[in-house]
Amino acid sequence: MSVISIERASRWFGNVVAVNDVSMTIGPGVTGLLGPNGAGKSTLIHLMGGFLAPSAGTVTLDGALVWHNVDVYRRVGLVPEREAMYDFLTGWQFTLANARLHGLADPEAAATRALQTVEMTFAQDRRLDTYSKGMKQRVKMAAALVHDPAVLLLDEPFNGMDPRQRLHLIDLIRRMGADGRTVLFSSHILEEVEQVASHIEVVVAGRHAASGDFRAIRRLMIDRPHVFLIRSSDDRRLAAALIADGSTAAVELDGRERALRVHAVDFQRFVLLLPRLAREHRLRLYMVSPSDESLESVFSYLVAS
Amino acid sequence: MNTTIAAITLRAMVGRRRAVLLLAMPVILLGLAVALRLTGVAGVGTSRAVLGAFALGTLVPLLGLIIGTGVIGPEIDDGSIVYLLAKPVSRFVIVFTKLVVAVGCVAVFAAVPTLAAGLIMAGDRRGLALGYGVGALVGGAVYCAVFLMLGVLTRHAVVVGLLYALLWESLIGGYVPGARTLSVRQWAVSVTSAVAEHGAVPADVRLRVAVPLLLVAAVAATWYAGWRLRSLALTSDE
Amino acid sequence: MPPSDQPSGVIHDIGYRGYDGARLGRGYLVRSLFSHSLRGAYGLGRPARSKVMPALLFGAMALPALIMVVVMVITKAGILPMDYVDYIPVTFYLISIFLAAQSPQLVSRDLRFRVVPLYLSRPVSYADYVLAKYAAMAAALLILTATPMLIIYVGALLTELPFWAQTKGLLRGLAGALLFAAVLAGIGLAIASATPRRGFGVAAIISSILVSHAVVSSVQGIAIGTGHPTVAMYAALFTPFYLVNSLQLWLFNPRVSLLFGSMPMPQGWQGAAFAAVALAIVAGSASFLLLRYRRVSAS
Repeated sequence: MSVISIERASRWFGNVVAVNDVSMTIGPGVTGLLGPNGAGKSTLIHLMGGFLAPSAGTVTLDGALVWHNVDVYRRVGLVPEREAMYDFLTGWQFTLANARLHGLADPEAAATRALQTVEMTFAQDRRLDTYSKGMKQRVKMAAALVHDPAVLLLDEPFNGMDPRQRLHLIDLIRRMGADGRTVLFSSHILEEVEQVASHIEVVVAGRHAASGDFRAIRRLMIDRPHVFLIRSSDDRRLAAALIADGSTAAVELDGRERALRVHAVDFQRFVLLLPRLAREHRLRLYMVSPSDESLESVFSYLVAS
Repeated sequence: MNTTIAAITLRAMVGRRRAVLLLAMPVILLGLAVALRLTGVAGVGTSRAVLGAFALGTLVPLLGLIIGTGVIGPEIDDGSIVYLLAKPVSRFVIVFTKLVVAVGCVAVFAAVPTLAAGLIMAGDRRGLALGYGVGALVGGAVYCAVFLMLGVLTRHAVVVGLLYALLWESLIGGYVPGARTLSVRQWAVSVTSAVAEHGAVPADVRLRVAVPLLLVAAVAATWYAGWRLRSLALTSDE
Repeated sequence: MPPSDQPSGVIHDIGYRGYDGARLGRGYLVRSLFSHSLRGAYGLGRPARSKVMPALLFGAMALPALIMVVVMVITKAGILPMDYVDYIPVTFYLISIFLAAQSPQLVSRDLRFRVVPLYLSRPVSYADYVLAKYAAMAAALLILTATPMLIIYVGALLTELPFWAQTKGLLRGLAGALLFAAVLAGIGLAIASATPRRGFGVAAIISSILVSHAVVSSVQGIAIGTGHPTVAMYAALFTPFYLVNSLQLWLFNPRVSLLFGSMPMPQGWQGAAFAAVALAIVAGSASFLLLRYRRVSAS
């Protein structure tokens, strides 16, 4: 059982805060690190992989700091984002070199196993610079798996892959997770993460925005209280009608905006209720707009929960 | 010293285009030596001038620069060094292994050709050939250590190294007499002077000053390179 | 937004417009590429890090000139310590570093990140691209070498040295600077474009210049010492700085140089060889670049 523990870690580069007070625990199974580009996913993975020191907070693997700790690499396999490898080596030589560098007792056997796992034995005697992008990615995986690590970190592994390679990689990652390894991969595409990961960590603008099971998060995002700004032909009558129903938590007549602000707690019910009430009371709705759809408010809600 | 790292570094070092550049310089040196010998001009004085100014003064620092930065610079630049760093291998071992490869290359591309050129031009007269050969090896090794350290510290190691060579070795060495004590080239000359026949090669720095300084410079540079490699940040392209 | 049960949609034309106005021609494109490259050679328009090296080298080039002016003013010596045409051969190491460091900045980056096709998808042919880059590097070198000469000129006039002599000297110096710029830019860019790796390009350029310089110096020293001044003179053909220096002194008068006047210089028709080699370098570099970029644009 290997658990990566990030406690209140922050990392800044001069004035730019790449990771802002993030706390998360990555345990066995497949975890997806989701976030838009520039959200700090790569920085987080580098922090977990011991290639960056946190400016504040700690990053530990089973209690031991990963920074300045070369022994941690016995248990961690890293698949980096950048494409560059030792192009003059063949796939076999590259994997074997990685096995040797880990100080394995039987590097040839380990390299063979790793290449078989990623199904690259057919091309192992060709030089790396003759490989396609997907093939290179698979060899990178082999190099990361050669020492049978308990933890696998993959930085944007699906970048630039065609559908068939994607499926293959998804299958591989799932298998690694099922073996009991702690697998973390990053992506900015929701669907990719959805298909593979049982557990998701969402990072937005360096902040930890959400964590947990994907379906639970989605429900949270829909089930949170929504605030609507409504203008109708008779705001007060509408307000009275709305508050009578349980889907509305609060109504407020905003004099400045000349509109009605409604806090709805049951989204599904409210969106059916509003037009029905308007029709029943012969009101005309001029404007219905959600007033807290910004990411900030969503984020703050998620963080609070 | 890690044989796997050494093998990878060596193969990366002598790949095609870089090998052409590395080979070109000793070839030019040997060509010059042969030409001078054939035209009957090669003598002790000429050999001293050619080996001292050209081999020791230009070739060795340049090759030390190209080889010293070349064993680690390109890997850091394109990010493939992550495959060495993500291993339970001490950073000092990584640096030391690469230094060994670099010194080996310097021996092959700088020291041996200097020895050969000396033999061609001056035979074994006054021990010049051997003296300059050893001086080239020692100087080249220290240059490698220093420039390897530069390669870890900055991505512009080659240009910084050139500026160092210009400002320090040439200008200051020329105008500030005391600075010569701190010049790798002068240390190499001291070693040359000691190995060659007594008095054949004038040296500005005494041997018992030069040798400790050589060792200190090499060890300090190598240690510092390993120290900084532990904290190397993996960056994205450029 | 009114809630509605019927799916409907409309797309508003809110932004994208084609451009129907006047388009500036190819000349403008080439000029822009030229000025962009020239500014890039000095790090302008790029992060502060890239300004350090050119600024350092520019300052180091100007410094001796400033010192010379100060010395002249203080000592009221009445003559220049060195002539305008001597300045470049004396500072050749600095100029070489500038060439080696900045040539890759101009061409290696575009090759490494494969953006050349982006340039060529505009009404810019690969010949225009090469022309603009070559001119930019030459201009960068010219600025680097002309500025110290101007500083000396101003200083000389301030110390009331004879006006016409100084002006003639300056013009000779500037003409020589032009020759140096043309030849050096060709060498630097040709070598730099041969490799997408910046560090390797720097090493290759500086090695070519320094090694050839050292070899030729040795040969010249030996040749003069053994009484073969002609050999020494023709040896200069094999390294760029001595080549152009001999060329410029042949065009003017060797005795103009206060440092190299006593070196064997080409006389009469001998100088044609130097002019031919210099021309060959410029033409050869340009051809190499054109071939290189034609291959890149085709790939």
